[in-house]
Amino acid sequence: MFSNAKLNEKIAFTLLKIATGMVVAFVMVILYYIISNGYSVINLEFITSMPRNRMTEGGIFPAIMGTAYLIVGSMAVALPLGILSAIYLNEYAQSGRTTWAIEMAISNLAGTPSVVFGLFGLALFVKYLGFGPSLISASLTLALLILPVIIRASQEALLTVPKEYREASLALGVTKWETIRRVVLPAAIPGMITGAILSIGRVAGETAPILLTGAAYFLPRMPDSIYSQFMALPYHLYVLATSGTNIAQTRPLQYGTALVLLIIVLCVNIVAVSIRSHYRNKIKR
Amino acid sequence: MPENYDNGTEVEVRDLNLWYGENHALHDISIDIPKNSVTALIGPSGCGKSTFLRCLNRMNDLVKNCRIEGKVHIDKQNIYSKDVDVVDLRKRVGMVFQKPNPFPMSIHDNIAYGPRIHGTGKKNIRGVVEEALRSGALWDEVSERLDKSALDLSGGQQQRLCIARTLAVRPEVILFDEPCSALDPISTSKIEELILELKKKYTIVIVTHNMQQAARISDYTGFFLTGELVEFDKTEQIFESPREKATEDYITGRFG
Repeated sequence: MFSNAKLNEKIAFTLLKIATGMVVAFVMVILYYIISNGYSVINLEFITSMPRNRMTEGGIFPAIMGTAYLIVGSMAVALPLGILSAIYLNEYAQSGRTTWAIEMAISNLAGTPSVVFGLFGLALFVKYLGFGPSLISASLTLALLILPVIIRASQEALLTVPKEYREASLALGVTKWETIRRVVLPAAIPGMITGAILSIGRVAGETAPILLTGAAYFLPRMPDSIYSQFMALPYHLYVLATSGTNIAQTRPLQYGTALVLLIIVLCVNIVAVSIRSHYRNKIKR
Repeated sequence: MPENYDNGTEVEVRDLNLWYGENHALHDISIDIPKNSVTALIGPSGCGKSTFLRCLNRMNDLVKNCRIEGKVHIDKQNIYSKDVDVVDLRKRVGMVFQKPNPFPMSIHDNIAYGPRIHGTGKKNIRGVVEEALRSGALWDEVSERLDKSALDLSGGQQQRLCIARTLAVRPEVILFDEPCSALDPISTSKIEELILELKKKYTIVIVTHNMQQAARISDYTGFFLTGELVEFDKTEQIFESPREKATEDYITGRFG
């Protein structure tokens, strides 16, 4: 005979298991669906050649490269900016109205729909600053989009650095900045990289912001400068699936594109996770 | 209060008051801390002895809403005067904390951390590290594994590493904030021996909960109670014939 507490425990446990199982199942179904439909089109030609014959044949090389440029471009802007702001907010800013307002702004920014960022990028970078629809406009727009994620993750990471490290360093007659640079930051970097991982996935996958700031419907060549338009995987996928010249015929290409996008995000994550564990090991042992 | 010390006075505190917000934590503390001796500060928890210790290297500056009045002269200089560089002060007044707090780096880098930032060049760093570790009575135990993480050391070794790290910056005064409270008796006695050795070259101020420890290693003892310095005298005097009733009650274990 179960006591009430034991029965409750069993029910709770079962519910938790079911919930977790469902999450895993959804991921598996999506993965299976994309892989089984997409793997047949993936070959060297698919990932290294230009789209041909009104995008019904050929590869997706420019879209892959476009997405890669976007990741590099937006990270190059957002990572330093985000980490530096987090350091300022956590280590230097006095808590007061201004800081409160900044923190609120960051929280709201994190909740802003991406299409709004797209429109903002269109107004500021494309029109007002005159960059036109281009890699740089799209990269800057995506950088703004992921900035709150990176700032938040960096702030969390800074908070986990024990007070003892700071005190030990300050007590040795080391300035606050040197303390941050040599003790606090190295200990916080693994957590900051986690924030970056999350945002790389978003940069690779967002469609609305780049659609408004520089992604091209069809452009069978590489961007030749940061002021060029470009193709990108998520938008290419959207185009093939909704407004391509022959939606039914290009179905395998669509799955192939989705699969490549997934693989890129996965690879980036693996790289980021290994950087993180490298830093952790360096710190711990 | 003892008037003249054989080795002279290192730290001279006059009418020191400290508030944490509205809380008046230290009341009119005046004390002369002798050079090249061990001065112990004892008293029940919350009596202000650690707070007082942290006034001597201005670590209380890091505490929000902390206000300090009065004078603290170290080597004839008022450390609370406007033209004092706090960073420079903390080079001269080192501190060892309650919990061993090595950085998550190698043993070598922990010791080299301070000197490197203060400008010791690559060529000399090895020598500085060895000297500091020898003075910290740790060299023989770690000389073979300087590039291993400091976090792999035992608690007692970590604390001696922290002492060596402080020595590497070449301070004049070293403040110990209950340095043995997290350590076993054997590690504690090693640290006590080390402190007795260090007082030949440095002025030592140690806050301790352990009255036997104060009796064993200190030359002078101050007794704190509710933010006041009740009595300060030679250690034998405090433990054998204290002037104040409260001191006697505390050291005979009637409260605390």
